Amino acid sequence: MTRDCDAYAVASRDIVFESFDGEAVVLNLANGKYFGFSDSGSTVWQALSSGVDARALIGLNAGGSTLGAAELEHFISQLLELGLLVPSETAAQPLPGELPAELAATSEPLHVSIHDDLADLIIVDPIHEVEEPLGWPAVKQAS
Amino acid sequence: MPRVTLETLPDYARYLITAAEEAATHYPAARTVRLPRLELIAHAAPGVLAEALGHAFVEAEADLAEPSTCRIFTVHPGIGGIPEPAQWGDAHFTEYGFAERLAGAGLRGHYFHDLDFWQVYDPERRIGVQLMTSPDAFPPWEPTAPLRAFLHWEYAARGMRLTHAGTLGANGKGVLLAGAGGAGKSGTVAAGLLNGLDSVGDDYVLIDLAGGVTARPLFSTLKQDPQGFARLGLKQRLGIESPLNWQGKHTFHIADIAPRPVPAALDIVALVVPHIGGGEMSSIVPVSRRDAMIALAPSGIMQMPGERESGFRFFGDLTRQLPSYRLSLGTHPEEIAGTLADFLTRVVS
Repeated sequence: MTRDCDAYAVASRDIVFESFDGEAVVLNLANGKYFGFSDSGSTVWQALSSGVDARALIGLNAGGSTLGAAELEHFISQLLELGLLVPSETAAQPLPGELPAELAATSEPLHVSIHDDLADLIIVDPIHEVEEPLGWPAVKQAS
Repeated sequence: MPRVTLETLPDYARYLITAAEEAATHYPAARTVRLPRLELIAHAAPGVLAEALGHAFVEAEADLAEPSTCRIFTVHPGIGGIPEPAQWGDAHFTEYGFAERLAGAGLRGHYFHDLDFWQVYDPERRIGVQLMTSPDAFPPWEPTAPLRAFLHWEYAARGMRLTHAGTLGANGKGVLLAGAGGAGKSGTVAAGLLNGLDSVGDDYVLIDLAGGVTARPLFSTLKQDPQGFARLGLKQRLGIESPLNWQGKHTFHIADIAPRPVPAALDIVALVVPHIGGGEMSSIVPVSRRDAMIALAPSGIMQMPGERESGFRFFGDLTRQLPSYRLSLGTHPEEIAGTLADFLTRVVS
């Protein structure tokens, strides 16, 4: 099915986020994974998670260069794979007026880093030695 | 043996609380622990847990606010009227789903499968039950910070938070040391205490955001791996080979090495993320709040049962209120402590 717009929504109510000086930190409450965004990634995340049409971001200045379709598509596919966003069928939101300037002020390329501190938990509490999405008794496999 | 599923979980939790209250006359003893704004009454049979209740806390002395009381029953089937612990009956278990189900019923809880160890809490009535198969059938980390989960739930209900961080301070002002296990929190705290600084804890402290960021002590236990224990000269200082805990670390108490009594509180003026620097000298440089948040929040949220979203919001608020720094740890305890003391002086002034 084709979509009339290229809009997205936060994947579930388990995805929560906070912004610090323009830099976003996202947490998946269900599995405890954290995600840190670069400055341009934070701005794009905030736009996408509030339903802005992704196509409206293409060609804007971001991280010292022009945001290309392929770069944005790769970033969005990461967010989809990580379970942070899902495609939205609702009408896209307009591009906020201040967003192009905020994006132009960023200095880093689009990037999301994953912080999985479950390894630390295993030391502290063996009950967490499971694959959270599968649940007990699916024991976490050593990587 | 009964089996509990997500569907029956709230009923089972309430059943345990009722059974524990009805058996109240059978408990051998109760211990009262005075904590910040909280009077904890714990019923426990003689044994390791009861002993831990006697020495694992830093008791609050002068607390201006009138404390409220919470009552925790640590029970086992050897006490009249207490049932055998149930087992988990669903093939699927996640800590998050378990906590969410109970939260929907106004309850809190935790279940440790290996021991059929149950903890359930009613935050409205401030009554909790820790059900074990026998008096000593508890997870190995329990004696270090006994009843930690109940304190987490009770303080979270009041907008405060048990926070996985170390602390160091002077003259009532302090820093919060944030980071996952192995980042150097405990070694930094011990180095500071041995060189004249104060601390209200090296692992879990109580944070209140009302009127600034305040850290208060709850647990008195400190820990060091054998290498750190030797490097800090603690064997000579303590005059004993303190026991190794379940993580293979030496455990001792703040009062064993502190230069003065543990302060009732520290006003936190900075969030500091330590890491093993590799250089001889320590250094402190600003770090983004995003990175400080990621150092502070994950372990504090995920090591505690339930309250994940409220924890995320709380740690977000905390991070916004403080300047954030990265501390590259040098190799000499005196130098690390001196660097932090100088830093505190600069930040406060």
